[in-house]
Amino acid sequence: MLPDRSGPPPHEHGHRQHTDDQLQGTDWSGNELGPSDREALDEGPSTGQSYLSLSMRRLMRKKVAVVCLSVIVLMYGGALLSPLITPYEYTAQDLSQSRAKPTLAHPFGSDRLGRDMLTRVIYGLRTTVIITVLSLLGGTLIMGVVLGLLSGYMGRWVDGLIMRTGEVTSSIPDIMLILIFVASLRPRFVGAVQAFEDATGIDWLLRLGIVDYAIISLGLSIFGWFGMARLVRGQVLQARESVYTEAALVAGSSTVRILRVHMLPNILSPLIVSISAGLGSVAGAELILSWIGIGVQPPVPSLGRMMFENGSIQVLRNEPHLIMFPIGTVTLLFLCFSILGDAVNDAFNPRAR
Amino acid sequence: MKRKIFRILLMGAVLAALVGLVACGGSDEPPAAAPEPTAAPTATSAPAAAAPAATAPSEAPAPTATTEAMMSAGQPTAMGESCAPSADLTFDDRPPQGGTLVRLFADPPTLDPHLMGDVTSSVIGGEVFGGLVTLSLDYQPVLDLAETCSISEDGLVYTFVLRENAKFHDGKPVTAQDVKWSIERAADPDTLSHTAETYLGDIVGVTDKLEGTADEISGVKVVDDRTVEFTIDAPKSYFLAKLTYPTAYVVDQEQVTDDGTWLEEPNGTGPFKLATYEIGELIVLERNENYHLGPPHLESVQMILSGGSAMIMYENDEIHLTGVGLDDLPRLLDPNDALNPQLHRSPQDFDVFYIGLNVAEPPFDDVKVRQALNYAIDLQSIAENVLDGRVSPATGVIPPGFPSYTENLRSYQFNPDLARELMQESKYADALASGDFPRVTLTISGSFGAAIPTYLEVILEQWRLELGIEVEIQQTEWATFLQDVNDKKYQMFSLGWIADYPDPQNFLDVLLHSDSQSNHTNYGNPEVDRLLEEARTERDRARRFELYNQVEQMIIDDAPWVWTWFSGEGYALIKPEVSDYFLLQMSIPKYRYVYFNQ
Amino acid sequence: MGTYAARRLLWLPFLLLIVTFVTFALLRVGPGDPVQVWLGQHQNDEVRARLRAQLGLDDPLVVQYVRYVEGVVTRLDFGESLRYRGRPVSELLSKRMLVSLQLNAAVVIITLGVGIPVGLFAGLKQGTGLDVVAVTIALVFQSLPVFITAPVLLLMFALKLDLLPASGWEGFFSPNIVMPALVMGVPGIAIVVRFVRASVLDVMAQDYIRTARAKGLAESTVQWRHILRNAMLPLWTIFGFTIAGLAGGTFIVEIYFGIPGVGLFAIESFFQRDYPVLLAIAVITTALFVLANLIIDVTYSLLDPRIRVGGGNVT
Repeated sequence: MLPDRSGPPPHEHGHRQHTDDQLQGTDWSGNELGPSDREALDEGPSTGQSYLSLSMRRLMRKKVAVVCLSVIVLMYGGALLSPLITPYEYTAQDLSQSRAKPTLAHPFGSDRLGRDMLTRVIYGLRTTVIITVLSLLGGTLIMGVVLGLLSGYMGRWVDGLIMRTGEVTSSIPDIMLILIFVASLRPRFVGAVQAFEDATGIDWLLRLGIVDYAIISLGLSIFGWFGMARLVRGQVLQARESVYTEAALVAGSSTVRILRVHMLPNILSPLIVSISAGLGSVAGAELILSWIGIGVQPPVPSLGRMMFENGSIQVLRNEPHLIMFPIGTVTLLFLCFSILGDAVNDAFNPRAR
Repeated sequence: MKRKIFRILLMGAVLAALVGLVACGGSDEPPAAAPEPTAAPTATSAPAAAAPAATAPSEAPAPTATTEAMMSAGQPTAMGESCAPSADLTFDDRPPQGGTLVRLFADPPTLDPHLMGDVTSSVIGGEVFGGLVTLSLDYQPVLDLAETCSISEDGLVYTFVLRENAKFHDGKPVTAQDVKWSIERAADPDTLSHTAETYLGDIVGVTDKLEGTADEISGVKVVDDRTVEFTIDAPKSYFLAKLTYPTAYVVDQEQVTDDGTWLEEPNGTGPFKLATYEIGELIVLERNENYHLGPPHLESVQMILSGGSAMIMYENDEIHLTGVGLDDLPRLLDPNDALNPQLHRSPQDFDVFYIGLNVAEPPFDDVKVRQALNYAIDLQSIAENVLDGRVSPATGVIPPGFPSYTENLRSYQFNPDLARELMQESKYADALASGDFPRVTLTISGSFGAAIPTYLEVILEQWRLELGIEVEIQQTEWATFLQDVNDKKYQMFSLGWIADYPDPQNFLDVLLHSDSQSNHTNYGNPEVDRLLEEARTERDRARRFELYNQVEQMIIDDAPWVWTWFSGEGYALIKPEVSDYFLLQMSIPKYRYVYFNQ
Repeated sequence: MGTYAARRLLWLPFLLLIVTFVTFALLRVGPGDPVQVWLGQHQNDEVRARLRAQLGLDDPLVVQYVRYVEGVVTRLDFGESLRYRGRPVSELLSKRMLVSLQLNAAVVIITLGVGIPVGLFAGLKQGTGLDVVAVTIALVFQSLPVFITAPVLLLMFALKLDLLPASGWEGFFSPNIVMPALVMGVPGIAIVVRFVRASVLDVMAQDYIRTARAKGLAESTVQWRHILRNAMLPLWTIFGFTIAGLAGGTFIVEIYFGIPGVGLFAIESFFQRDYPVLLAIAVITTALFVLANLIIDVTYSLLDPRIRVGGGNVT
């Protein structure tokens, strides 16, 4: 969303440019196909390959986007490598350091049990990262995109079935569904895993919280695919109506090719946007689950838990470091995703060419 | 006992409250902390809800204590001993002064006294309704609607004579027939009361009524308009204490039978009338000018139900009192702080917290393992460092100040060497060394936003360091937890208990008798059971308490629990213009004492 | 169009049936028992069995489900709450929904009221420092979790400045609504800004605007008419989903500011296994969601004839 004067150079493709090439904004809401789209007609079907690389090049030219991307990569990388880069164990307690203010040894201070906050925050980030990635991969990407494509392309009863099912899952308040789902599933699932661990001698599944990640992600995916599916379906419908698809069909392109070349690029930026939005809903769901007692189990740190445990005026007044650092981390991540989402939208949006 | 029902108290919630996270739970005391994100403004019947700052007179009833309160008035009658020997409630003859007390509260799940099983409802119930007996400010059963009460020689028949000026809100006198009808309504199967069996079940004939095989309760007899007689099945000295519970409150037969909406304006006998109840928003209690013990000073009490950040509301002059969370305490304890003079200590609740060990499951089928776990944790240090001294290490089942409490118990002290030694002697010593030690999972309940109590994480860490035992935590959601813990499915669980009525039977018998449904550990010791049964009907108070002390020591030695805390003293803020708001250890109707001093 | 809408409306009852059945089944298959939660620590198997039987909880699931549906359909009776004993669900829920509705209305006003002007401004000043600042601020606010915004607002407005009451609910036209509405509304501003700004840029770029300008139409006429019309659709979407969410609440905000809304109530009802309340919430939110979607779809096709509703024909 940040304006960036380094936009596409004029006449990159030899096509007419918008006089203002800063056409930004999330344009997946269905109001597309401005008059400019018709101009796209005379654009030859480019190959997906070159389209992608061109778009990437455009993206990389935006400094803010690069900065955000680096921050995200850094945070994700750091989170996944947390055991290697954290200065302490996340369980290491030192009661004498309870709620100590930040020092050189503990740059983020210590929590109530005297555990290093920096370490806890990094591990908490890992929790968020794993759950987001899992549920987005499972729910949004795979289920959402596939079902959306199917729905949009097949139409008729397939469309009806998928959309109606989606309506059912998404019209029950999702939090309630996730609650019910996780609450009824969790105890049984944990029991099964314990039996499995006992039988196989593996002992880290529960300890590392992998089971928690899996259950929460599953809960989120099952009820989280519909938004993406509808989005993709909308894109498909819209493109199907559009002249260039007709042209492509006339020109004898295969369906798969049309999908790859015309559809996927169109949904890339909403995808990024939905990942950043997904971060929010994942954090929210994790929070409610923890609140009710079925979230990620301690001592595995979770940013959501840290925030709700410390998101009080008392803490803010008296021990601000307990809340500022987790919040700062989360905010930075969200912000970077938002900015990146916009930038990607600019770079990948075919109309901005 | 009165209105604080037996509540399973989730440690989590309570301690979180102490730690300043939760608030506004079920006790009628000011929320212990601002209900920040964690608090459940309407947390109620779930035991999970924190019982915040409790309170009461360790020295004298809290702030500006009145001298009123108790003067002794148990008049033994010809029939036998008096049943309310310690005190009577005084008639308060100070002129009413007016004013409106505003505080945060939670939605009561019900206003029907016979359905009340939680603290929140009971608080409202106690102000609006009343029964034959109630609790005094020092937790003794005293006479309320009854003027006299006597017990027969064999301890089976209780005779109550009603006060002449005992009236319903609408001015109608309370009769013995009203009492009988109320008890029968509570025990009527159609009332769907879940407390009738517990609190009235000692009365002869209640079980038949509950099962629908009798129309009347044979053990309740109307002698004349003002005299009613209760017959119980055994000489249980805690019967009177149970009668102080809302299940035994008197309701207006005419109103209840005629008016389906009677709870909107219940015709009770308490010091206040229910003037307004907007669900989720507001309760207003108004002074009952006809109250038989003298009308309350306050014109009304406003209870805000929608929750909010208590501390901020207090500082913003929106409410008159609040509990104080851990995070605010250091600031408020500073004598230079403007609010410091408004800070009051509130006495500890009568409660105990523990980690239950299922003695039927390995490795807890070996008493040495159970003892080792108790010896391996340094509760004193956790209390001081993590919980800022807001709790004290539990030394037994009965909390300090509670009837039968004694300091002469041999309880567990931090002793890692002894702990390791015991582990070595246990039958799991080899398994521990070879890594085949049975898997240990500690299950705790999540509750309204209560964090997993941090102290548990410390305890787990100490077990790992001192004994080499790895314990996993599994948190589960309340309803599931309740179901599974009742089915004795858990190997190790964290729970707590708050007193319902001031009698050791409420702790020892209810929690640790092998037949009790609240004994979730499979613990059973025939000798313990025998002594508990003996104590039930022992009529000599000193002898009875001796029995309980003996039982308590045996239980400590058997270690079906890992003892953790008694909740310690808390703090509350009360505006300087409010006088006689007593911070008590149990919730007792008390708004009638409060007045504004300016 | 008409048939499309009719078809969707006809589908609604079936959808509601499915949704209630799924909710009902999931709730009942999962662990937890409302009577046990009631009993709290007064656990007693006999009492529990007696109460369950009296409440009809022991009947076969299908019987219970049919009984429920029958009550709703024939008498519009959602039953009585299991937790607030003797209270009809409709009474409990309607009060809370009314509160959430008002709060959400305030949220929409804030989001659109701030978002549209800022978006227009950013779009018109596009590329200047002001644009960057406006957009960045909107994005930062979008990224801040409620756990920090709520306490900070409380500290500022209630405690330090003493301008607003810290919490409580006194209806739409009271100062109590300001802080919660801000906390909930401010993050959404960025989305509106984004849409409006994009529309501005889009419109400015188009031939007809240039034509209009060339024809000498006043700059402001050009801008307002075209830009706003262009931005209508996405904004309408946001609005539509807000309508769908009207019955919903944000429990965390409700807790911070002491608002008797639906959010916390729903979670607590789950906590207590208050089946009738949960089912009613499912029914109502589902209906609202479907209706809102329908309204969005229909108005879309009215506003932009290029969009054909209802899937339509495949090539």
